[in-house]
Amino acid sequence: MASFVARANKDNRSLILKGVDPETCMIVFKNHWAQVLKILEKHDPLRSTGGIGVGGGGLRFGPIPGDEASAVQNYVEHMLLLLMEEESGQVGSMGPILEFVVTENVMEKLFLWSLRREFTDDMKIEQLKMYEMLVVQSQQPLLHHKPVLKPLMMLLSSCSGTATPAVEAALVILLNQLCSILAKDPSILELFFHTSEDQGAANFLIFSLLIPFIHCEGIVGQQARDALLLIMSLSAENQVVAKHIAENTYFCPVLATGLSGLYSSLPAKLEVHSEEWHCLQREDWILVPALVQFMNSLEFCNAVIQVAHPTIRTQLVNYIYNGFLVPVLAPALHKLTLEEVMTTTVYLELFLRTVTEPALLQTFLCFILLHQHENVHILDTLVSRINTPFQLGTVSLSLFRTLIGLHCEDVMLQLILRYLIPCNHMMLSQRRVVRERDCYSVSAAKILALTPSCISPVLSSALQKHQANCILQSQGNDSCQSNTKGSKEEQYALDSQEYSRIVGYQKGMDASYLHYLYDARSNITRCIKACRVWSAPYDGENPPPERLQLGPAEEGGKQAESSQRACRSQVSSDLTTGEKTHLLELEWDDSYDTGMPSGGDGDLSEGDPGLKEPTPVEPPRHIQEMRKNAIMLIKGSYIEESDFQDDVMVYNLIAQKDAQAPTVPKQPPQPLSNGLTTTENPKAVVEQKKIVSLSREGHPVSRNGKLNDERRLSEPDHNSNLRILSMDGDDLISQYDDLLKGLGAKSGGPAEAERAFVDPVTPMEEDDVDFNAFSDDMLDPDRLPSPFGPKSRAVYSVSASTRIQGAPFTGPFVSVLLSRLENMLENSLHVNLLLTEIIARLAAYPQPLLRSFLLNTNMVFQPSVRSLYQVLAAVKNQIEQIAATKKDIPALVTEAQQYFLSRDDSKDVVQDPLGAENGQWVQDGGENRVQLLPSNKLKKAPPLPKIPSQARNVVFATVLYTEFLKELAAIAQEHTIVSYMPTEE
Amino acid sequence: MSTSTGLKRSDSEDKCVQGEHRTSPPRTSYGKKQLPSIPKNAVPITKPISLAASAQSTNGTHASYGPFYLEYSLLAEFTLMIKQKLPGIYVQPSYRSALMWFGVIFIRHGLYQDGVFKFSVYIPDNYPDGNCPRVVFDIPVFHPLVDPVSGELDVKRAFTKWRRNHNHIWQVLMYARTVFYKIQTVDPLNPEAAVLYENDVQLFKSKVVDSVKLCNSHLFDQPKMDDPYAISFSPWNPAVHEEARERMFTFKRRPDEHPKGMQVSGLSWVKPGSTQPFSKDDHILQA
Repeated sequence: MASFVARANKDNRSLILKGVDPETCMIVFKNHWAQVLKILEKHDPLRSTGGIGVGGGGLRFGPIPGDEASAVQNYVEHMLLLLMEEESGQVGSMGPILEFVVTENVMEKLFLWSLRREFTDDMKIEQLKMYEMLVVQSQQPLLHHKPVLKPLMMLLSSCSGTATPAVEAALVILLNQLCSILAKDPSILELFFHTSEDQGAANFLIFSLLIPFIHCEGIVGQQARDALLLIMSLSAENQVVAKHIAENTYFCPVLATGLSGLYSSLPAKLEVHSEEWHCLQREDWILVPALVQFMNSLEFCNAVIQVAHPTIRTQLVNYIYNGFLVPVLAPALHKLTLEEVMTTTVYLELFLRTVTEPALLQTFLCFILLHQHENVHILDTLVSRINTPFQLGTVSLSLFRTLIGLHCEDVMLQLILRYLIPCNHMMLSQRRVVRERDCYSVSAAKILALTPSCISPVLSSALQKHQANCILQSQGNDSCQSNTKGSKEEQYALDSQEYSRIVGYQKGMDASYLHYLYDARSNITRCIKACRVWSAPYDGENPPPERLQLGPAEEGGKQAESSQRACRSQVSSDLTTGEKTHLLELEWDDSYDTGMPSGGDGDLSEGDPGLKEPTPVEPPRHIQEMRKNAIMLIKGSYIEESDFQDDVMVYNLIAQKDAQAPTVPKQPPQPLSNGLTTTENPKAVVEQKKIVSLSREGHPVSRNGKLNDERRLSEPDHNSNLRILSMDGDDLISQYDDLLKGLGAKSGGPAEAERAFVDPVTPMEEDDVDFNAFSDDMLDPDRLPSPFGPKSRAVYSVSASTRIQGAPFTGPFVSVLLSRLENMLENSLHVNLLLTEIIARLAAYPQPLLRSFLLNTNMVFQPSVRSLYQVLAAVKNQIEQIAATKKDIPALVTEAQQYFLSRDDSKDVVQDPLGAENGQWVQDGGENRVQLLPSNKLKKAPPLPKIPSQARNVVFATVLYTEFLKELAAIAQEHTIVSYMPTEE
Repeated sequence: MSTSTGLKRSDSEDKCVQGEHRTSPPRTSYGKKQLPSIPKNAVPITKPISLAASAQSTNGTHASYGPFYLEYSLLAEFTLMIKQKLPGIYVQPSYRSALMWFGVIFIRHGLYQDGVFKFSVYIPDNYPDGNCPRVVFDIPVFHPLVDPVSGELDVKRAFTKWRRNHNHIWQVLMYARTVFYKIQTVDPLNPEAAVLYENDVQLFKSKVVDSVKLCNSHLFDQPKMDDPYAISFSPWNPAVHEEARERMFTFKRRPDEHPKGMQVSGLSWVKPGSTQPFSKDDHILQA
């Protein structure tokens, strides 16, 4: 029969029969069948009990002679050919041949005949292919007829189960074809069900047979999934099918648990090629077969949810939640090592980018936002990881960039808006300002005025040059400035080709401001459109501020707990003995590691805070951590604190590396599972102590600054406060440098480390009361306006149970973002790119609460609330101080600007900026800043300027900072003129 | 300035809308009366900005970005203006300068009924810190507050001192509309009109009718300014205008049908009135 199949596939087949009289065909067919029947009956056990063969006991009916078998085969080939070619009769009735086939039950008899012979794999394949050809190429519908359908079903069920890959392949192809016929002609569906009933339990055989292939790799899996999808879309309109699939098949569980299975075979750790890497692009994961397989199945789930009946959709989504996300992904996000957690985060980000179907996205988001793993919301854990140094932090940023790009109200609500709705973060009098538009670009001007003075010369010289260019192109306008404006504006009217040509001339940094305006406009417009589905405008009135108090019911317990945590860290910085400093450091370390899984609840009872046994870190702690930071701002110690913290982390990691160098067998260099590092340096301890006390002494100063600030509330100048703070910070920075140097000299100290490690860390809660008093005081909004008596904390020791939730706090996410932003100068370029992109995306949201918080520089916030503007101002001061001390910085910055400008040019060429206008920004994920870097985008990237590596981050960050100011200013300006009317466009 | 009366009256004028559309050129129609997309239509500024007025900071950034601030201030004004939906008033910034707007005002009843007056708005280049914008009619309308020679409307009496953040250009335009419904005669720019209105209303009325006729007879004249965005009128021409009118009337239904329209990119499962994520009833997950 194989030969028949081969022959029949040739196109000339139809030529043979073309024009042959149907009656002749019928006669031929009947004759053939008569011949076949003769042979069949000869071997029919019902008719001739013995048969010819007397032989072996193996077969019931004895072997069928080869010549007879091949005779049947030849006849059948010919018959099928005739059947396929037959046109249906008039008015859709059966053609004579088909009628004959049906009445004589030809197909079933043939199938029984092949069963009687040895039903080898080869034969199965042949039969499968035969049917495939029949159903695909037949001129008239065959499947409506039970005598055709039934043997087909028998064949299919005989192929299920123990099949070889070759049989499976043929089977899936046939099933696939059957499904597409079903999709075209749903009336057959019923027949399939009925036929199944004959076989016993009601059964949708085609479907059930496909299920095992759902997760197969390669073409077989793909065909099976395609076929299943066809049935899924059938189910959308056919309640019976939907019900059957949902109630009688394992489709959904198989699909969902299959994800889990596939997930478990993903690489637990990904090889990270470079520091800048932060997410899996298609070209990355396509090289990892396991990942490809997983992604296929995930995409399939997505597609099923897209087309299937709601019953199936709901079931599948629930299985994915309860069978994959919760039992598999949640623990994976809390694995033991940094790399594993990082990898899981990368996967999660990839999944979020892949899933497009709202119902499935909802499932993932629900998991992230609401699921608690060991009493900690996944979201809290993820947020806390942003502050992790190295890859995990970067990857976490990337995850949040994706989340924010979804324009999902629920996400934004949980991340930020819920903290802004009560309007506690601003002075009461400011509530009416929330919705005001900044008519005269005052905020933009203030933001741009933050441009560091060491940049300005570069800017203005570039501007001059630029203006000169413009004058050349001017069209006779009467002033230099208007020329600048005019020609730039007109560029946008030019077609893109010419546009990029002109941009090529204009190296001036300010030329890009129009780009920023343009991008800002399209981002805001897109965001507004996306947010039309939101439930509320978030304008300070709807939802009403009173409604959402982060209720004690919801958050109270957590907060209490986290406040305790905050106490701990606060207290730890107060410790005076050397031994306790160990604790101090461990605590810090722990905090950077917050995302790491630790076993226990981390509650106060832990005598040994998870040194050996990883205790799951509760996110509340991080929230608390943030909260504490926010509080510290009041005390003026915020900056020092966070700087210090980061530096200690870095120190630990450096020390750890150093420790690895001298091969000390006794000391395993790897961090323990919860990420604590093992090295310890007594000297450093002392230094740290110093620093701590130093930062404490900073309080009175900054206090005063703050008080001043408060007195001038009507005309706030945040700088006064910040300047003082950052000077302190700077002082500290130099101390850290010393500290680090000292460490470099005296690396190792394994014994010490060992001790630090083994020493059970004794509870730091002893001072709880003290800090509670402190924090309560600071958190009590009533007391905020008058925080006198810097050192006399005792004054404020109110009962430890004072309410906490009233404290102005803009949420952990904002806090952690701003604190990373504040460290911009130490961040790598890629971290900063992600960071600024996230903030820019947030700033493009039209909700007045968000917009006013991020961009309105005139708003007066509660003293404990840090604004974006404050942080930017702090960074500016850092830059200027560095520029003042290191004279080569400005020149290096100029050089770096040129480098990035060349990037900008190449970007214009590679990717037409105007193209974004008609481009579909699916989920905002299309553009990725990091990819625009020359090294990623262009072969002939300009050489990286020779910037000493220790200065590189500072220099790049400075360049990025000034660009970021423009970007934010542009967004602020565009917000003021955006039309909120739905008629736009 | 009697804002309330002006607005109230407008309600009763909606019947006239159709007739108005017939005469107004498509460019001022509802669909077009929006902020033009910035890049293409943005307007260069004809005069250098007086930096002293608008710049508080001396560090140079302001100097280079000053034009942006001014332009965006004016665009913000324009956006606000559109939001007001002042009845019978249409404006459009000129192509050459954001500091000059073209406008037309339709008077729907009262003494000046059927008047269609074209005007220009001139905004001082140190906006918003300068004086109030000037409104000049293309043809001096016979009106106590309109200069019979220059056609300038006496705006200053309503805005003696222009206060940023409090005064907006739309208020000026609303004022320009109001003067035609509620005639004032104190300190007139056109004493003749003032005196007539006080002493001989009949004669005043007939002069107004003449003035309205005069203005309307020049309606199809070429715009005074040669500017691509100048407002120009042309006689009704079905081939040109019918389609635009069609669109105008179907357009209004769109905002309603939008929510059920094509899938927008944003997501929300927050029940209106709730601040809990995934609070909507159709929340699919039963976890």
